[in-house]
Amino acid sequence: MIGVGETTFRLRVRFRKADRLRYLSHLEVVHSCERAARRAGLPYAVTQGFSPHMKLAFGPALPVGTAGLGEYLDLWLRSYVPSEQAFQALRSASAAGLAPVKVKYIAEREPSLGSALTIAKYEVVLEGGEALREGLRGSFSAIIAEGELAVDHKGKQKVFELASTLPKEPDVSTSGERTTVGLTVRIGERGSLRPEALVTAALTRGALDGRIASVTRTELLVEEDGSWRDPL
Amino acid sequence: MSDLWSRIEPLLAGVERPVRYIDSEWGASHDDASYRVALVYPDVYEIGMANQALQILYGRFGALEDVTAERVFVPWKDMADAMRAADVPLFTLESCRPVADCDLVGITLPYELTYQNILEALDLAGIPLRSCDRTDDDPLIVGGGPCAFNPEPVAPFFDAILIGDGEDAVADIVAAHRSAKAQGASRAEILRALARVQGVYVPSLYEPRVSDGIFVGTTALEGAPAIVHKRVLPDLDSYRAPTCTVVPFMDVVHDRVGVEVLRGCARGCRFCQAGMVYRPVRERSADSIVRDATAALQCTGYDDVSLTSLSTADHSQLEEVLRRLTRRLEGTGVTVSLPSLRVDAFSVQVARLLGGGKKTGLTFAPEAGTQRLRDVINKNVTEEDLLRTVTQAFSAGWRRVKLYFMIGLPTETDEDIAGIGELVGRVFRAAREVTPPGERGGMRVAVSVSTFVPKAHTPFQWEAQIPLDEVRRRQAVLRDSMPGKGVDLSYHDSDVSFLEGVLSRGGREVADVIEAAWRGGARFDAWTEEFKPSRWSLAFEETGVDPGGIANRARRVDEPLPWDHISAGVSRAYLRIERDNAFAARTTADCTFDGCTGCGVCGSSRGANILAGDRRG
Repeated sequence: MIGVGETTFRLRVRFRKADRLRYLSHLEVVHSCERAARRAGLPYAVTQGFSPHMKLAFGPALPVGTAGLGEYLDLWLRSYVPSEQAFQALRSASAAGLAPVKVKYIAEREPSLGSALTIAKYEVVLEGGEALREGLRGSFSAIIAEGELAVDHKGKQKVFELASTLPKEPDVSTSGERTTVGLTVRIGERGSLRPEALVTAALTRGALDGRIASVTRTELLVEEDGSWRDPL
Repeated sequence: MSDLWSRIEPLLAGVERPVRYIDSEWGASHDDASYRVALVYPDVYEIGMANQALQILYGRFGALEDVTAERVFVPWKDMADAMRAADVPLFTLESCRPVADCDLVGITLPYELTYQNILEALDLAGIPLRSCDRTDDDPLIVGGGPCAFNPEPVAPFFDAILIGDGEDAVADIVAAHRSAKAQGASRAEILRALARVQGVYVPSLYEPRVSDGIFVGTTALEGAPAIVHKRVLPDLDSYRAPTCTVVPFMDVVHDRVGVEVLRGCARGCRFCQAGMVYRPVRERSADSIVRDATAALQCTGYDDVSLTSLSTADHSQLEEVLRRLTRRLEGTGVTVSLPSLRVDAFSVQVARLLGGGKKTGLTFAPEAGTQRLRDVINKNVTEEDLLRTVTQAFSAGWRRVKLYFMIGLPTETDEDIAGIGELVGRVFRAAREVTPPGERGGMRVAVSVSTFVPKAHTPFQWEAQIPLDEVRRRQAVLRDSMPGKGVDLSYHDSDVSFLEGVLSRGGREVADVIEAAWRGGARFDAWTEEFKPSRWSLAFEETGVDPGGIANRARRVDEPLPWDHISAGVSRAYLRIERDNAFAARTTADCTFDGCTGCGVCGSSRGANILAGDRRG
């Protein structure tokens, strides 16, 4: 067994969790990715200790039902495999809905995904046309003007400071009878604002009629010196 | 093709664990053949996906020319209710097709308390519950599995039931069905054609005879064999274990890939139905086990391979298999596990080899508290064996053992019950002696006690199950005898055991009870929190069936039994001899170690024991 960090290679994988597989829980995603790495035959590194397991780290979890188009994991390998070859091996060992999009080796000194990925972009699609769009725009402005949003989650109340949580104004657009809300959320140390919670608050505030049809996290970004960059 | 997905998806937001219904798993096959088989497991996804037989049959059906096999599980209550409200019928996972559109619907009979879920599945599918109400447009409903050896309580719900091993039989069933259909046969003619397939029981061709309210035998109608003999796969090595199984996304109950290393067990425990009905003993060779386990791990990506069977430690080449597999898997974080352990030193060695640093707990099944009673049930384990094994385990660092016992065994006295407590006390003291003083606080002996349920095709098939008030009295005797400190005592629910007894030895009249209970709301009774004895009491009252007359009545040995027309191969004469041996507390040896004991299984189409090497005692 080789100790992690000595002669290991850290492969960062951007992957999608989409289509029917958006119904997976985070733990199911973790286990499925581990199995895909084993099926791919990659020389994955194993932690030492009583219960040796694959050395793998994930970015922020996605809830059941929320799709992700640019999710991340870091996988440590015991030996070097050309990244294109590792990508192909992983892809052919993955189900289409939970599959790698791009891979790249990154330096061991880079911060962990958990601490680096602090900006998340979402798309929330609702059933409803132009009236809904106008209503939502008004509600979002009003909520942001208040500066704070209190959200109940599993019986606990969390208060989000919106100046920090929403680094950009929500973007609302309509196409036919579908309205899409583009949200950018900053993930804080004490958890992140779920996009459904903000949209639901906006619907309630404006007494608007709109059902959330889907939620997709489209991007995860690293925030560095005030600017945002791709983690790969 | 009718794909129901667009109607299913809107329901998912409102139900628990939508992952049960989404298909798309690694290894799921999406063929579109002309003959479609729906394989139904009568419980939810996470239970059914752990079932090895389902994975075997999925592969065997799918490998047939122009046949597609798809999986079906019973939707949990929330989803079933949502489906009924939205008028969405039961669907197959792979193609989201209505189950009713399939040619053949195979339903597993894994455990008696899943019977009402068979009706839940048929009803959700829109298929008439009883064979006699089905038409040419309905699929063929075929059962099979462990409970098929007394098929009578579910017989009216099935068009046909396979008795015994399914690996080869599925091809014969499909061929018979197809060729009869091609000839334009009616449903009745198709059923007669199926009755000619070896191992296939067609309930509508058999009539139970009742005289003065007493069951007096079963008559085979014209064209049906008087006795249905079980199918036996003579040599397990003649086919490969399924290596590219469907890998669930959801965490299922046994989340690992299984490779069956042997089938059958000849230890001859007299209470054990599996030990009687799965004979002869057929071992796979070490080479094929290692080959299939390695291939299965590569194909599925699991981090654990389980070497399954009724008694894996009995495999004559187990040490070689484990040596080869653990060497191959070194440094990968992938482990090998065994489902059960024997009470002997070898098992502790094996556990040390497999567990690495993990010492989570070892489980042993002495079953009875005194040597006399262990001899009655032919559990060939002595107290010395148990104490030595436990001492070795605790010396090797284990701090927890779990012991399985039964109460209500034939001839049991209060002394035998008190004997359980005394034995547990001696186990605890022996374990304590070899445990360093600083670690004694973490010592745990878990004692799990179930109520004996007599089963068909065993030497105890004629015995009375003890009634509920007697169960409670004996449980109290047990509690009083049990040392308190460091021992965790748990019981199997006695109401469940009682119902299990009725459903496992009942005749065809019990089908009415199952239907009445399901109509009264019984679903998922195998789930502790879902089981409501009151629903069953009402069902017994409504149908006029006396459950005590089935479970708690001793039968005469010459009395006709509802499963007499089903043969598991072990002769009735042998069961009677074994019954006599039991009452004389005489043990019978295992024929894979000693000579033939004359059970009657070997020979003709049922093959013989196949051992990969010499067995160690």
